[in-house]
Amino acid sequence: MLTLQVNGTAHQVDVPDDMPLLWVLRDVLGLPGTKFGCGIGQCGACTVHVDGKAVRACSLPVSLVGRRPVTTIEGLAEDEVAAEVTKAWLEIDVVQCGYCQPGQIMAAIALLKGNLHPSDDEIDQAMSGNICRCGTYRRIRAAIRNVAGAV
Amino acid sequence: MRGLPHEAGGRALRRGRAFDLPGIGTIYAPNITPDSETGIGRYTDAQFDSAVRRGVGPGWRHLYPVMPYASYVKMTEEDVRAIRAYLMSLRPVHAPAPANQVRFPYNIRVAMIGWNLLYRPSGPLPDDPGRTAAWNRGRYLVEAAGHCGECHTPRTMLQALSMTKSYAGAMIDGWLAYNISSDVDSGIGAWSDTQLAAYLSTGHADGRGTAVGPMADVVSHSLRFLTPEDVAAMVTYLRSLPARRSDETIGVVSPETLAQLAPIHSNGERLFAGACTGCHLTDGHGRQVDFAALWGARSLGETDGRNLVRTMVEGGTLQTAHGAMVMPAFGPEYRNQDLADIANYAISHFGNREGHVTARDVAAARGGVSP
Repeated sequence: MLTLQVNGTAHQVDVPDDMPLLWVLRDVLGLPGTKFGCGIGQCGACTVHVDGKAVRACSLPVSLVGRRPVTTIEGLAEDEVAAEVTKAWLEIDVVQCGYCQPGQIMAAIALLKGNLHPSDDEIDQAMSGNICRCGTYRRIRAAIRNVAGAV
Repeated sequence: MRGLPHEAGGRALRRGRAFDLPGIGTIYAPNITPDSETGIGRYTDAQFDSAVRRGVGPGWRHLYPVMPYASYVKMTEEDVRAIRAYLMSLRPVHAPAPANQVRFPYNIRVAMIGWNLLYRPSGPLPDDPGRTAAWNRGRYLVEAAGHCGECHTPRTMLQALSMTKSYAGAMIDGWLAYNISSDVDSGIGAWSDTQLAAYLSTGHADGRGTAVGPMADVVSHSLRFLTPEDVAAMVTYLRSLPARRSDETIGVVSPETLAQLAPIHSNGERLFAGACTGCHLTDGHGRQVDFAALWGARSLGETDGRNLVRTMVEGGTLQTAHGAMVMPAFGPEYRNQDLADIANYAISHFGNREGHVTARDVAAARGGVSP
């Protein structure tokens, strides 16, 4: 039995040590906002925050999370940076199909929390591991710039 | 140790992996399950001991030193008997080994009698009373049971382990088995005891990278099951190996320095950001797990990137207490030049050296041929 801190709540989970965090979030804790994409850390669709850092939940064995707090897209309702990012996303209508967007948004929030005014290089560096098959990259970058300008 | 010759993974010891020996041929590790026809089911204790420690199988069949009997001869009779007892408890599998393809004159097995006279030690090493119990235990694990020198010590013209370059590193199956002598610049002299123990028991040490290739097999299937006391004993003994300088020096760039490096806008950097940073952050840390931390990794200090390219082309798997840590292989969607660019970027970024990896090197690694 492991204790997992997710979105501010402690959960007891009875799962194998090597189960990826993504499986625990979606199938055990019922938090389907985090998406499965490639399963090998190549696409970024499953990005969540562990101790504030953007990580791929598909490639993190749950037993390695330890006491570090996990935040999923469901856990950001009260978050100020998240509110700004959501607003910026809606203003220029970033989303097309939307499947990768929870991961994109989690990556963008982690970037902005560490660096409120990222350069274009820093945006590219932080967002390169998040793939969007609809090709919304330019709008994602513009929305992040707008947040950086707004705060 | 050459990975796992008899495949103690999913296919449990029944049929061997192939050893490609340049200029000599291909030798297959045989079935060592208790099957009576194709395995070791009919071996007596004495016959098993003779094969493992003398290199002579039933019917005076001389084994090739791919089977590291020249190291195992230093094991105790009791330990070899215990290994046989364990193997005999496994499920027998009927599986003949493929025929070896060995060129003349190496195909004359009796020639091994002469080789053995020259190079096979006579028996177990007596404990050195001037050393601690931990050192003597460590020597036993490194020299005999672990046979570390079989990969990490260069071989002479006659395939014997070099005495003057012991543990100075060697090429094996196209991988560089690193210098593990106590030399500070090119061996493990600068590693802390904690780093060495962590690397041996988990396959990863912060600031030293993660085992890949044959060494990942060694950790996955063998070393990680050692007791902490035995790991500490190995560390004690490895520390005492004479320093042997080799060409590959180690450089460590700290995560603090890596985090400050300005972008260089190269093709390799761009591809690394897309393909690699899902797991390997550019500050040298692992994104999800420490096993993916690249800072201080030896493969990124080698300017010709041999082990790095093999790892990119073949991927890798390390078994750990937290499940399998997997590096996916780069497939044909990446051109040879792209992989060379990524490798050279990684060598310059993480190793602070100029990489010399070419598209030809990548093509050779993809074809399974040494460049």
